[in-house]
Amino acid sequence: MEQNNKFNLVEYHFRSQHEVVVSYKGPFDKDAMNMIGNYIRGLISMNPQASKKVFKVFIELAQNIAQYSAEKNIIGEYVGAGVGSLVIVDYPEYYQVVTGNLIDNEDLGPVIDKCELINTLDKEGLRKLKREQLKQNDYERTGADIGLIQLAITSDNPLDIEVKPIDQKCSFFTIRVKINK
Amino acid sequence: MQNLEIKGSHGDYDVPTVSFNAETGVCELKGESYLEKTAEFYDRLLAWLDEYMAGGKPITFNFRLSYFNTSSSKRILYILLKLKEYEDNGGQVATNWYYDEDDTDMEEEVEDFRIISNLEINAIPDSSLRWE
Repeated sequence: MEQNNKFNLVEYHFRSQHEVVVSYKGPFDKDAMNMIGNYIRGLISMNPQASKKVFKVFIELAQNIAQYSAEKNIIGEYVGAGVGSLVIVDYPEYYQVVTGNLIDNEDLGPVIDKCELINTLDKEGLRKLKREQLKQNDYERTGADIGLIQLAITSDNPLDIEVKPIDQKCSFFTIRVKINK
Repeated sequence: MQNLEIKGSHGDYDVPTVSFNAETGVCELKGESYLEKTAEFYDRLLAWLDEYMAGGKPITFNFRLSYFNTSSSKRILYILLKLKEYEDNGGQVATNWYYDEDDTDMEEEVEDFRIISNLEINAIPDSSLRWE
């Protein structure tokens, strides 16, 4: 029915309760990143240390989506930035930055292993692992692994990951990063 | 040899400001670094350093970065390794890293760079690098 095709914006707006400060779904291109990045910068005066961490976590997660999401923003023949979802939640005790994107099933294993390894390490262990990764002189790697380690260092919390299988080719990968206030 | 000057941008996929002086040997990297094309950007800086170092003159490198992402950190390390190599081959090198003293994350990053590169890096608190 025609009526069922109406998107309920009111429900969408209020379903995400007041603690959701940013929600975005779409391509993580330059414009989107600037807009969201500048918005987070605007929060900085209220809690400089935590907000700066939120900004850093946002940049790493967003650049991961832009580069590695299995879903791309396709305009005609042009393959643009990766597509994903982002929500930043403002809880009384902490911020939570949540992102999700499609990932090829064949890439999933290494990412999960990496996150699990990261979650077994304390701050010093993470810094040591990061130094080892940085030292590897592989010029072509863009450093997504270091990005994950840095997320854990910056946030001082474990990486909370979740995988929802979609089909034989892809899964939806969610990562939640908590930043204490 | 030409100086290398790149005007950075802020609030628009931030590119750091580069000021490399071929006369004085004072090189500065300032601002925030989270670019779209990190490798291309830093390759230009590294190529300039190679050319400058071929002349055998002293070099002072000042980092004044208030933020850099992880893909930039790899390239920054290449600069530090290059400075270390120059020093090991007899070049005169001074490396200063200015940072906001409330930014303990940055302080640790500098410490990690020092451990990896074995380069002496002077960490210097500078409140002008504070985020506001």
